[in-house]
Amino acid sequence: MRAKKANKSRAGPAVMTVVVMRLYIADAAPNSVKAIANLEAICKEHLQEGFKLEIIDVLEFPLRALADGVLVTPHLAKLAPSPAAKIVGNLSDRSNVLHALGIKS
Amino acid sequence: MSETQSAGRVAGERVAGERVANGRILRLVKSGPELRALESGQVDAVLDRSTGTAYLLPDARRAMSAAGGQIANSLLAALPREDYQSLLGELEPVTLTAGEVLYESGERIRYVYFPGDAQVSLVIVMPDRKALEIGLVGREGMVGIALALGAEASPVRALVQGSGSALRMKAASFREALGRCLALQHELHRYAYAKLVQARQTAVCNRFHQVEARLAGWLLMTRDRVRSDQFHLTHQFVAASLGIRRVGVTNAAGALQRRKLISCRRGNIRILDRNGLKKAACGCYEIVRNLTG
Repeated sequence: MRAKKANKSRAGPAVMTVVVMRLYIADAAPNSVKAIANLEAICKEHLQEGFKLEIIDVLEFPLRALADGVLVTPHLAKLAPSPAAKIVGNLSDRSNVLHALGIKS
Repeated sequence: MSETQSAGRVAGERVAGERVANGRILRLVKSGPELRALESGQVDAVLDRSTGTAYLLPDARRAMSAAGGQIANSLLAALPREDYQSLLGELEPVTLTAGEVLYESGERIRYVYFPGDAQVSLVIVMPDRKALEIGLVGREGMVGIALALGAEASPVRALVQGSGSALRMKAASFREALGRCLALQHELHRYAYAKLVQARQTAVCNRFHQVEARLAGWLLMTRDRVRSDQFHLTHQFVAASLGIRRVGVTNAAGALQRRKLISCRRGNIRILDRNGLKKAACGCYEIVRNLTG
């Protein structure tokens, strides 16, 4: 009980953790479209405004994707908060995505 | 899973370019979550460090191409989008060349064809080698419909009449698709019925109608399939299609030219007055057109 109170007093004003992600896709290819839709649904449900997402089309920017260590698309990179994580595929395995993003379902 | 197996899962063995692409993809993605995603069909593109290039996988390329443009074949276009997408992986784009025989009568059907702007004559060949066209297939239909009705061999010779594009599918893949896709079954049964009516009508037409009226109807059918008032056909080919002598075509075409309905020059046929040509055609044209579209 005490510990709980102490925690509350130390917390102060709520600080929102912003999840920073980068999604690598290939134009409007089927798995890329699915990945965007799946990620948008997860963000809407679990992160609300607390996220930053950059979407990179590897057909336009292959060198940037290679510099970031991307081998296939779709590829989601979680950059912050640490630890960093990556998920490959169309993000249809929701629990896997939530786990990688550090979100408790 | 071995590399050979995963190559089959990713794109199948279709054309040399794709086999090369598959080999490259497998060299680039050897293990880890990338390979697992590739094997489960969740990858669209693979990046090559050595060239700095992103390679779009064949299935993704096909899906994007189909989504970006209109579906040329009416049977495929009539399918719900999801059903069509499920067939895309098995459909291979090909170019058909005039004079090419897709199958001889009695030959096992290895592929079915969904023409885009190609046209294919279905011809009955008699033992004395005389031939008669009993159907014409273009973007409204499919070549190899016998397979959908349970036959293994083609009852007719399928001869390409007009060069153009088509999508083809292996017979085994077609049977499998037919088993799982009710919309495809429905479309093909409707089409098979239309072809049956067309064959009956053609039999009546061949027996009772004048060559000039038959030629007018046949030219209109060809026009509907190529969607152009101008096309290339020799009198010899038209004669074989209508089952008449070449001189009969020359006389009938001459009569239509004198009525200023068509012009013919070295095999280039131009329809000058479509409504006039419809009036010159026998009623069989409209009956078949209403069924096949």
